[in-house]
Amino acid sequence: MIPLSWYLILAAVVMFIGLYGVLTRKNLIGALMGIELMLNSVNINLVAFWRYLHAGKPEMDGLVFVAMVFVVAAAETAVGLALIISAYRRRKSVDANDMDLLKG
Amino acid sequence: MAELLAPELLLWLIPALPFAAFVVIAIFTFRSRKLSHSIALVGAGFSFTASMLVILKALQVPELAKNPIASQIKWFPTGDSWFLLGVQIDPLTVVTLAFVAVTILMIFIYSVGYHNFGAPEGRNDIAGLPPKGAEVSHEGHTHRVPSVEPMYARFFALISLFAFAMYLLVVSDNLLGLYIGWEIMGLCSYLLIGFWYGRESARKAAIKAFITTRIGDVFMLLGLAALYALTGTLNYQQILSNQIVLNTLVTSASPIGGLSWAGLIGLLLFAGTIGKSAQFPLHVWLPDAMEGPTPVSAMIHAATMVSAGVYLVARFFPLISAGWTPGQPLTTPMLVMAAVGAFTAIFAATIAATQNDIKRVLAYSTISQLGYMVAALGIGAYSAAVFHLFTHAFFKALLFLGSGSVIHGMEHGAMHTGDEIDTQNMRNMGGLGKKMPLTFATFLAGGLALSGFPLITAGFWSKDAILSGAFTQSTIVFITLALAALLTAFYTARQITLVFLGNARSKAAGDAVESRPAMTIPLAILAVFAIAAGWIGIPKSFPLLGRMSSDWFAEFTGSMLSFKAVEGHSMIPLITSLTVALGGLLLGWLVYRRVKQAEAVDPMEKALGGGFRIIQKKYLVDEFYDLIFIRPSLWFADVFVAKWMDQVVIDGIINGIGRLGLFVGSALRNGFDAPVINGAADGIASGTRGAGGLLRKLQTGRVQQYLAGAVGGLVVLVIVLYSIFK
Amino acid sequence: MEFFSNHILTWILFFPVFGAAILCLVPARSEKGLRVTALIASLVPFALTVYLWFAYQVSPQAPGFAFQEQLEWFPAIHSSYHVGVDGISIVLLLLTTLLTPLALLASRSIHVHLKTFLMLFLFLETGMMGVFVSLDLLIFFVFWEIGLIPMYFLINQWGGEKRNYASLKFILFTMGGSLGLLLAIQMIGAVTGTFDLLTLFKTWPGISQASLFGLPTQTVKAIAFWAFVIAFAIKAPIWPVHTWLPDAHTEAPTGGSMILAGVLLKLGAYGFIRLVLPLFPAESRQYAVWLAVLAAASIIFGAFAAAGQKDFKRLVAYSSINHMGFVILGIAVAAWAGGSTDPALQQSAIIATNGAVLQMFTHGLSAAGMFFLVGVIYDQAHTRVLERFGGLYAILPVYGSILIFMSMASLGLPGLGGFVSEFMVVRGAWPVFTAITAVSMLGLFFTGVYVLKALKLVLQGPLNTEWKGHLKDISAGEIAVIAPLMILSFLIGVWPSWIMQIINQTVMSWF
Repeated sequence: MIPLSWYLILAAVVMFIGLYGVLTRKNLIGALMGIELMLNSVNINLVAFWRYLHAGKPEMDGLVFVAMVFVVAAAETAVGLALIISAYRRRKSVDANDMDLLKG
Repeated sequence: MAELLAPELLLWLIPALPFAAFVVIAIFTFRSRKLSHSIALVGAGFSFTASMLVILKALQVPELAKNPIASQIKWFPTGDSWFLLGVQIDPLTVVTLAFVAVTILMIFIYSVGYHNFGAPEGRNDIAGLPPKGAEVSHEGHTHRVPSVEPMYARFFALISLFAFAMYLLVVSDNLLGLYIGWEIMGLCSYLLIGFWYGRESARKAAIKAFITTRIGDVFMLLGLAALYALTGTLNYQQILSNQIVLNTLVTSASPIGGLSWAGLIGLLLFAGTIGKSAQFPLHVWLPDAMEGPTPVSAMIHAATMVSAGVYLVARFFPLISAGWTPGQPLTTPMLVMAAVGAFTAIFAATIAATQNDIKRVLAYSTISQLGYMVAALGIGAYSAAVFHLFTHAFFKALLFLGSGSVIHGMEHGAMHTGDEIDTQNMRNMGGLGKKMPLTFATFLAGGLALSGFPLITAGFWSKDAILSGAFTQSTIVFITLALAALLTAFYTARQITLVFLGNARSKAAGDAVESRPAMTIPLAILAVFAIAAGWIGIPKSFPLLGRMSSDWFAEFTGSMLSFKAVEGHSMIPLITSLTVALGGLLLGWLVYRRVKQAEAVDPMEKALGGGFRIIQKKYLVDEFYDLIFIRPSLWFADVFVAKWMDQVVIDGIINGIGRLGLFVGSALRNGFDAPVINGAADGIASGTRGAGGLLRKLQTGRVQQYLAGAVGGLVVLVIVLYSIFK
Repeated sequence: MEFFSNHILTWILFFPVFGAAILCLVPARSEKGLRVTALIASLVPFALTVYLWFAYQVSPQAPGFAFQEQLEWFPAIHSSYHVGVDGISIVLLLLTTLLTPLALLASRSIHVHLKTFLMLFLFLETGMMGVFVSLDLLIFFVFWEIGLIPMYFLINQWGGEKRNYASLKFILFTMGGSLGLLLAIQMIGAVTGTFDLLTLFKTWPGISQASLFGLPTQTVKAIAFWAFVIAFAIKAPIWPVHTWLPDAHTEAPTGGSMILAGVLLKLGAYGFIRLVLPLFPAESRQYAVWLAVLAAASIIFGAFAAAGQKDFKRLVAYSSINHMGFVILGIAVAAWAGGSTDPALQQSAIIATNGAVLQMFTHGLSAAGMFFLVGVIYDQAHTRVLERFGGLYAILPVYGSILIFMSMASLGLPGLGGFVSEFMVVRGAWPVFTAITAVSMLGLFFTGVYVLKALKLVLQGPLNTEWKGHLKDISAGEIAVIAPLMILSFLIGVWPSWIMQIINQTVMSWF
């Protein structure tokens, strides 16, 4: 049986890849993909802990959380993409650095 | 039907109908001349008829003075009790109502003619100025004739209101009702004197009349308040026929030293008479009141309204004379009345003898005659005074209406000939007796009555009664009044001679014509009264005639008093009055028949010189008042009270407080607010602003930088938390 | 119906506010709609007051306070919404509800910010009526202030040339009075623990033990008395705190002047009658002579100052001081006679107080009418300088006749309302303050002088041709405003007992 730490390491790696993507990608779609990665790393963690703590028991909370995250991720992607498309239509660009209207 | 003729109801209706006429004309019919004067005449005619019916009823009542016909309504509540307003008729009312009703009706009829009803409208006539005449074409050539008065309906509305006020005054059973009529009459005289309000002189005269009489009125109001406060009523019967009330008033001392309440109230009421009956020193308004439409308002100021003042003191004679019996020293108010009346009688008579304006002569003559009556009351000759009031109303009304007729004839002549002269100046007249025979005859009757022409005229009997009364009571008053009577006869002869006798002294006078029947018929009726009204009062003691007389008048009016009034039974006053009347008339005729030219110097001026001119200027009383009273009070009102006291002193104090507030405020601001509070506040504000300026640099607007910051912050947080909770 | 008749005073009191709320919904450009709405909102209280007038006469509570209503309002300090009317407040209520619609009708020349103008007017009406009906000191004060603020804006926004100065002067003077008023009311409330007037009438005069902040009772009472007196004296106004009046009256728009002279001045005199006399009988009696002296000064100096004016409206404004002097003189007599058992003195006091209350009503009619007539001529001629008129009677016959009528009502001509009231005051004051009454006759005399001066310069004399063809005679709409005032003045003058009975009934119960 694969020990829990492997899953945790995998999740941490995916998380940091995602975080790196979000912080560095100039393309907003890339950043959005990074967010997806971060969300999925959380999912990995949730499933792994559920398997180790509650396998064979009636509690299904870990899986329910994961399902919830899927839904949120789907919604977020849908809204995010719509915003990006809208921004692209106005400014002909999906570059995150161009979007600094809230600069103080 | 019997109830309709009940005297109580009729008494109420006597004043009510003219008032209704006023309201109807003023609101509805003022556009129609004919309708308006018809309504006014119906009102006056009704009042006349009702008055006569009431008088007839009243004469049948035995002891009318003690049991007057009366009726009252509740007027306003005064705590538990009510103030009652009512009407009544007693002997004094009978006498007054009789002459008021006759003269008022005559004026109404006369006015239709005087204001040229039926004449064409003048093209240049405007409201507020006397009509200037109209051009009419007659058989190919045009000539000017008098035109109808532009404010014809208004005139009838106003004299209806006037009639209402006079009737109310006469029939009222209490002093407040009298005062109401008194004041409304003041308003009417103001409006009628100022009827031709467009003229500067009319406007001045109107205000002068109102203000001058008001001086007397405010004193009278105080008298009213005092009487009401002391007796709890203003009803004549309850005060004047009640010896207990009168005794209380006589014995209680007023705040003014040495004067009983009866004396003080008597003086206050007499002040009202001084104003209304134009006694010295408030006589100045009456001559100027001749600015009104010629004979009518002038006549109102001779026959009815000024009689109200004498009526008032006659009415309150029991109060004024309370505590006095014939032969005793006079009470204070009586003394004042005798002095004022006698002085006014002679004072005004001298002025009347110098005037050239036909109406002004009569105006001063009125003042003089009123002085006669006041003096008569002052010396206790009650019945004689009332008698003279009665006869004077008829012959003075007649004289004024006659003078109006003369002026009318002159105006006609002036328009016809284009002669631009003063149509009221007697110097421009002369010889009118031939042109206007009816007017001349009636004027002569009035004039003779005024001068007391013996036996046949009313004026003789009443004047004789006063002189005999004065003879028994006070020699000074007797001599003064006799002199005044001499002057009266003199100026009457002067007037008649200048106006009617001799030859015409101007083109207008040569072309004058007799007035219309609407004017001459009232003259004729009044002339009958001027002659015959005296016969009801021939004293029993009079030689020959006395035996046929019952001396009804003195007995009838005398019943108003609790004691027998002063009467004289001596031959000296009789001879005196015969002498002064005939002598004065003869003298006047002899002196003035020699005036042939309008420009000729007055014969008396030749004799008296500068003294004559001072008298002609009315002893400069007007100028004196202007200097002493009018200018200072106007200055006081305008400069002292309005400008100085309010705007300088009081507002100055207020503004001072305001400036003090401003000073304190600005000191606080500059010394404390600005450096301390504002400094602190400003410091905080600028500090915040600077910090914000630094912080805004953090706000780049880039999502990824924020996120990096958040991650960095998270890392720091984790490290911190770990290092704390490890 | 039950609900309605049980709360009729509240209906009357707050209907104008309700109307003002409705006014918000009417579009601002529909001038006619605004005017009609406001007129209805002010006519309904009038109709209700007329109903109240007749209901009051048959009401069993008379002569006490009828139509009382009491609701909890501020229980923490024992203040409640307590209203009711007696014979005096109902007379003034009638005056208020009568004059407000007339003043609205007289405001035809107002076009700028009409909606605000009308709303302020309706608030003003509620404030004034509230003062007359409140039976709770705190409510009294609240309504007192409500009446003040709209007037400030009416003068300040729609006034004449010097409106800023006038409105500021007005508000500072009256606010100055209000401060004291509030102080006195708080002191009374703190000492007795209640603001209810019916309770205070019974208890306050007799209180001699309580103290406040360590001050003795006498001091507390004296402070409260003077605070009341100063507040009401400013409002009435009594000489020498009257100088706000000519400015405020002159600069206010016509409708505002009508209300100001017609009703607002009465608030001061009403305060004396309602609060000062019953709450401070001993102090009132002590200072009654001084009050009478000041009243005579108002009468005399008011008349003199009016005679010295060159501006028509200022002349009318000063005449108000003159006439309010008679009200104060009557009140002084009542103050003097308070608690006396001498029947003659009581009789005089009743007559004087009757006269004072009636004078408030008749002056309300005549002053409002005079200000309206000044407004009529000012709207056309755009000047009020007397010297510039002259001989206008020839071109304005109807206006001239009405002006003469109103002037005579103001002058106190017998047969019109002012005479009855002035006579009663003089009659009542004569036995008590003989010398003062005699001296104040000088003012009565000068009343004639200034009234005739105005008539002389406006109507009589040679026609000033400048106006020929430029002035139109008074219109039917304007006659509709003045006619009710003339009819009422005449009715009172001819047969005063219809109104006097109501006043007398209440006044009698005091002495």
